[in-house]
Amino acid sequence: MANDIIIKELVKVFKKHHTEVRAVDSVSFEIREGELFGLLGPNGAGKTTLIKCISTLLIPDMGTAIVGGNDVLKEPISVRKKIGVLTGGERTLYWKLSAIDNLKYFAALYGVPSKQVKQRVDFLLELMGLKDRANENVEKFSSGMKQKLAIARALIHDPPILLIDEPTLGLDPYFARFIRHFVKEELSHKLKKTILLTTHYMDEADELCDRVAFMNRGKIEALDTPTALKKGMPQEQVLELKCLGDLNKNSFAELKEASGINILKKDGYVYIRINTGNPESLLSRLVDTIRDKAKVLSVNVTSPTLEDVFVYLTGASLKDTQDE
Amino acid sequence: MNVIIAEIKKSFKILLAYPVEIIFWIISPLLWAVPLVFQGKAIIGGLRSTAFGNIAGTEEFIPYVLIGAIVSTYMASSVWSMGFALRDETYYGTLEHILSAPVKPVQILLGKALFNSMLSTTYVIIQLLICILIFGLQFTFYKILPILFFLVLLIAGLYGIGFAAAGLTLLVKEAHGLLHLFEYVLFLFSPIRYPVEINPITRTISIFIPLTYALIALRGLLLNIEFDFWKNSLILLGIDLVIIPLGLYIFHWVEMHTKLKGTLSEY
Amino acid sequence: MIISRIGHYLRAINAENIKEWKIELRYKPDFIRQFFEPFVYLFPYFLYGFALLGARDSEHLKSITGISDIFAYTFVGYLLMGFLNTACWAMGASLRKEQWYGTLETIFIAPVPRWVYVAGMALHSTLHQGLIMLIEAMVIVFFFKIFFNLGGIFISLILLLLMITTLYGLGILVAGLTIGLKQWWVISETVSTLINIITPIAYPLAILPVFLQKIALILPTTYGVMGVRHFLIGENLAISVPAIFLRLSIMLVIWICFGLGIFLLMDRYGRKKGVLSLY
Repeated sequence: MANDIIIKELVKVFKKHHTEVRAVDSVSFEIREGELFGLLGPNGAGKTTLIKCISTLLIPDMGTAIVGGNDVLKEPISVRKKIGVLTGGERTLYWKLSAIDNLKYFAALYGVPSKQVKQRVDFLLELMGLKDRANENVEKFSSGMKQKLAIARALIHDPPILLIDEPTLGLDPYFARFIRHFVKEELSHKLKKTILLTTHYMDEADELCDRVAFMNRGKIEALDTPTALKKGMPQEQVLELKCLGDLNKNSFAELKEASGINILKKDGYVYIRINTGNPESLLSRLVDTIRDKAKVLSVNVTSPTLEDVFVYLTGASLKDTQDE
Repeated sequence: MNVIIAEIKKSFKILLAYPVEIIFWIISPLLWAVPLVFQGKAIIGGLRSTAFGNIAGTEEFIPYVLIGAIVSTYMASSVWSMGFALRDETYYGTLEHILSAPVKPVQILLGKALFNSMLSTTYVIIQLLICILIFGLQFTFYKILPILFFLVLLIAGLYGIGFAAAGLTLLVKEAHGLLHLFEYVLFLFSPIRYPVEINPITRTISIFIPLTYALIALRGLLLNIEFDFWKNSLILLGIDLVIIPLGLYIFHWVEMHTKLKGTLSEY
Repeated sequence: MIISRIGHYLRAINAENIKEWKIELRYKPDFIRQFFEPFVYLFPYFLYGFALLGARDSEHLKSITGISDIFAYTFVGYLLMGFLNTACWAMGASLRKEQWYGTLETIFIAPVPRWVYVAGMALHSTLHQGLIMLIEAMVIVFFFKIFFNLGGIFISLILLLLMITTLYGLGILVAGLTIGLKQWWVISETVSTLINIITPIAYPLAILPVFLQKIALILPTTYGVMGVRHFLIGENLAISVPAIFLRLSIMLVIWICFGLGIFLLMDRYGRKKGVLSLY
């Protein structure tokens, strides 16, 4: 049976205070065996709900999800045998147990044959560089080390399919880089795992994924390779302004390009990015519009990023938080 | 004063969100007393015991047990509610905000304590009504003032224990176990369920517990058992005068200690 | 296929048990405290009874049950009730505990049915309670000179096993309720308090009001306590021994099926509504 993921018309609705929220709204896509597939969207777009449906934690209201040839509704246990799940956040391990005890416990839950447990645990600890700390309680580990151990836990039964939800959330740059490299080189290229990765970090998806789907308000808005998605932009250039001042979407209401503007606030500066075919003409109009509200510090013309594509297609920023 | 009132209001709003818990706290002490009533009937074969009368001052064990159960409401409240008052905030992650606000933590704790006393008193009144209606407990209204007098003295002493408990729970990681220990001591060595005179160990330790004197006085008043009003009130007052400053001292010491060592937010 | 699956589940149950021992032993003071707890709740029964009688023997109790020693009578009854904690607290709170650790969703993705975790906790708590009970029994027997009929121990253990297994039904039911109810502990506490009142621990069944006696007859603890007391210290029984075993066996099937049914329903409800991660 192929180790792929097929999702058809999947719907998950939550009812909160008499209002319905369609967290996952008729989502369909396929992930091929051995593919590293990225699901991109802001917080609350429905990515985690979708992963929970695929990993049998939630029962979808409609539609199907076939994971490694097994239906998540009809054969949940078979699905769980084939998947390894890694989520961001630290508390997915027993802090009061040592690294080795954690792995042994999960090995038993996943039915790793008794004779192979020691060998498998040793291999994973070695692989993640945790051999020296194997007998220490997890509570003494740094966030990065905990995440490494969580990867080892997800791989304990050597699953062909991995669901990875925001793996670098809250990690320092060093560990985030390590995790990204590990996912791409070790898990995808070397071990040929089928991987579904969700993230709201654009660079992460751009760097890692073979194909990417944009998810916004429960729906898939676009799906293709990162290169094709970027090529699909109407213009090939992006004008970027670094400003100082208080700017928001309303500040650009007069511009006809207003809907495609991406505003990012970082380190006290405001970055404005607009996809355009004529940066020179747009620049003068843009500067006129914000003259009284902000000071322009620098101007750049670059190629579109995945985030630009996302903003162009959805009108929402990836940094936004949506109601789920 | 505003801080204390704000704290009372906050606690009240939180409580109203849990109506099932309110019912639970009201009936729970009475449910605990029921087996003792049945046990008494089983081994005595009636509702009066001469042997019991010789040490407890009353032959009727049912009212004796019920009063113990009702008064123990205050004990549970001081140990658990005050003990966990600040510990809960560490769990919610709000303790550091509270401690960095320009108020003394003691004021917040006092707010919580006053709220709990008001709440416990409401529970006690309802429990009394239940006992009067169902178990035929007799209540003489003209004795309300001395009863209140002893209750206030008791609650004040329990505040002292509560302050110490609140402080120690910040210091010790396993707060739950520590509070159980507090509860065990109060429970075993004060005359909540049985006259402590029955055993030399319980009798000796009970001397240091404010509940002992309050229960002697309250049972005396409610069941017309002879007791020395002034002796009991003076001893209770004396214990309060020791236990409240001691509780406050422990609380302050822990507060300073945790600030110095920075162990506050650990859980 | 089926054998390998059963083997997998049994290993998972044992792994859950071992994990809990390891975590509990990290909190040593609390671990030790639990061994003292039974005495704190047992002694008031002793002291209160002693205060009422002015002695250890009750003529009235003897006339109803055939036993005059109130310490022996209460102690055997109380000893068994420790296993009610296994059902109402350890098993009931098992999933909430995982939620507290933060590991609930992680373990729920493992390829074993969810009742396996509750069963693992049942095994752990039964062993833990058994150890507490053994120490309690040794201390009490030594200090209070209570003598058991040694010939009755084996049959008492069988009866105890039946009672505990029936209580597992209650435990898995409570564990199910925790999935959907925030204040499950109020239910758990109330149920365990009521069972403690209705079960004839410190008094015979005949003392209870008639309606409570009827309820007592659907509780496994009633048969466990009465039967064990009969075999160990010779309490007169109002129900025949075969009837006790028969009723307890029927109850075992009903309670387990009912508890498991509610658990599976609540589990499905949790996965449907997404309430698992809410707290």
